[in-house]
Amino acid sequence: MAVRTFLYGSLSILAILTLFPLLWVTSIAFMRSPEQSAGTPPLWPRHPTLHNIVNIIQREMLGHYFLNSLIVAVATTVLSTFVAGLAGYALAQVRFRGRRIISWIVLFAVLIPSQALVLPLFEMFREVHLINHYAALILPAAANPVSIVLIQAYMRGIPAEILDAARMDGAGEWQTFFYVVVPMMAPMLAALAVLTFVVSWNDFMWPMIAMQKASMQTLPVALASIDREHYQEIGLMAAGATVTILPMMAIFVASQRYYLRSVVAGSLAD
Amino acid sequence: MASLELSHVYKVIGGRQTVLHDINLIAHHGELISVVGPSGCGKSTLLRSIAGLEEITSGDIFIGGRRVNDLQPQQRRIAMVFQNHALYPHMTVYQNLAFGLRARRVARSVVETRVRRTAVRLGLEALLGRYPRELSGGQRQRTALGRAMLRDPEVFLLDEPLSSLDVPLRSEMRRELMALHKSLGMTMVYVTHDQSEALSLGERVVVLSAGKVQQVDTPQEIYGNPLNRFVAAFVGWPPMNFLSSEILGTSAMDLQNVEYGVRPERLMLQQHAADDLSVSGRIECIESLGGVWQIEIIHNGARLIARVPPDAALRQDEELRLWFGRADLYAFHKTTGARVKVQR
Repeated sequence: MAVRTFLYGSLSILAILTLFPLLWVTSIAFMRSPEQSAGTPPLWPRHPTLHNIVNIIQREMLGHYFLNSLIVAVATTVLSTFVAGLAGYALAQVRFRGRRIISWIVLFAVLIPSQALVLPLFEMFREVHLINHYAALILPAAANPVSIVLIQAYMRGIPAEILDAARMDGAGEWQTFFYVVVPMMAPMLAALAVLTFVVSWNDFMWPMIAMQKASMQTLPVALASIDREHYQEIGLMAAGATVTILPMMAIFVASQRYYLRSVVAGSLAD
Repeated sequence: MASLELSHVYKVIGGRQTVLHDINLIAHHGELISVVGPSGCGKSTLLRSIAGLEEITSGDIFIGGRRVNDLQPQQRRIAMVFQNHALYPHMTVYQNLAFGLRARRVARSVVETRVRRTAVRLGLEALLGRYPRELSGGQRQRTALGRAMLRDPEVFLLDEPLSSLDVPLRSEMRRELMALHKSLGMTMVYVTHDQSEALSLGERVVVLSAGKVQQVDTPQEIYGNPLNRFVAAFVGWPPMNFLSSEILGTSAMDLQNVEYGVRPERLMLQQHAADDLSVSGRIECIESLGGVWQIEIIHNGARLIARVPPDAALRQDEELRLWFGRADLYAFHKTTGARVKVQR
């Protein structure tokens, strides 16, 4: 009982610490200017208003940047999950020449910090004239070594006989991949997709460098430049932050339900 | 239905390790062949080579007279049941059964009738909507069998399909397999490490050791007429007793470099014929197995096991003489292990 109390107590404190800034920012987004600029803003708006939200969407074209971010994040997620699924499966279960070497190279790539890649990536994309294109943000993220390594490890745990059975059943490579392999690694793919989406959505450094035209900027980068122009309008900034974190919230709520269901399904089976 | 023929099949891994060594084997139309050997003897590799899941280094494999060396597994008209069933975990029994037909783009209505017919035949019709994790071991086994049957195979390969089941279920499934074989009339190759299973199922038995075929024959011949010491020791439980000619004493034939063998169930408490041979030793242990007793005697450091009818007169640590007929004595060359014919 004491353990339970301690557990729930500490989890509650953690939840409050995490949620408080988020809720405060959201609350500030609905405040009028005098309230916000009076030193420390209050916790709750006395006269709620949509003024800031409307302002940031209309005046600062936030919807445009939102769309940029959405295109990049969705494309990155789809492409990277697909590539990681194929590569992880092949490296774990398909026998081919050079498999070990490639596995090692991928594993080594995990160790390279993304900051170290900025300069060579920039040179490469300038060479092929893809700076200021969506491709500049999507292509480098398409082959994510962390995702590949995780899928590879997960696929090793799946008995090879199931894949042999699919071959005996006359399924081709793609049929085996889509109808047998993908469903078996679905939980892992879903988790990776959520993770990839969040990382892509929040990415700042590379998008700032690769997207030099203002109209191509993603939400975090655009938000940062709005911040520099209107550093006194806290309400405007809060509105921008609220709009930025909204999709994250939606995705987490949606995927959490998915995780919960898979956990329950597992326990019911036994 | 088709015959299966292996001719001089070799499988070498990494240019050094020979896993299969000159395998020659013919399974006739509708025959059930069991392949038995200790783990690591190459029996699973043999099966996977026939299936086309492993490439062979040299030699030829024929199914129904057609050379299949260069054919993909799905083109060989074979089906395989795996040791761990290898059912698709995310598919229902119905989907598991239908997958192969769907993969080959068979019309939906045909798939439906064929899956249902097979399900009825195997008693799975009530379970079609269940997932593999919701099935018992026997039901999973039947699903795996059904999936293999729906491939319309000419040759049916089974890789230790019963080893994951508990003992009572195993003998039940064994009977079902035999009935299935009889009704389908299909050529079957059954791989197992369990010699009693191999003898009871196979119309002919292949004994494999270290990648080499030791003997191919009917179960009776394998048991009664082993070609070498390995087959003699591997087949039969408890295993055959081996004795040097010195232990056999004066009654031994004057053969050099020979080791003798006699099966535990052939040792008797009384002499039956005038020319019966005998060994004697101290009773080390008496184990009652109900209708039969298992006795271990020690003679000059050598341990012999005998299966005899219960006898209340037997006492531990007492001397016991065990008799056996000359016909039950096997002789093997000490270095090569080959069977030596003895004039009896």
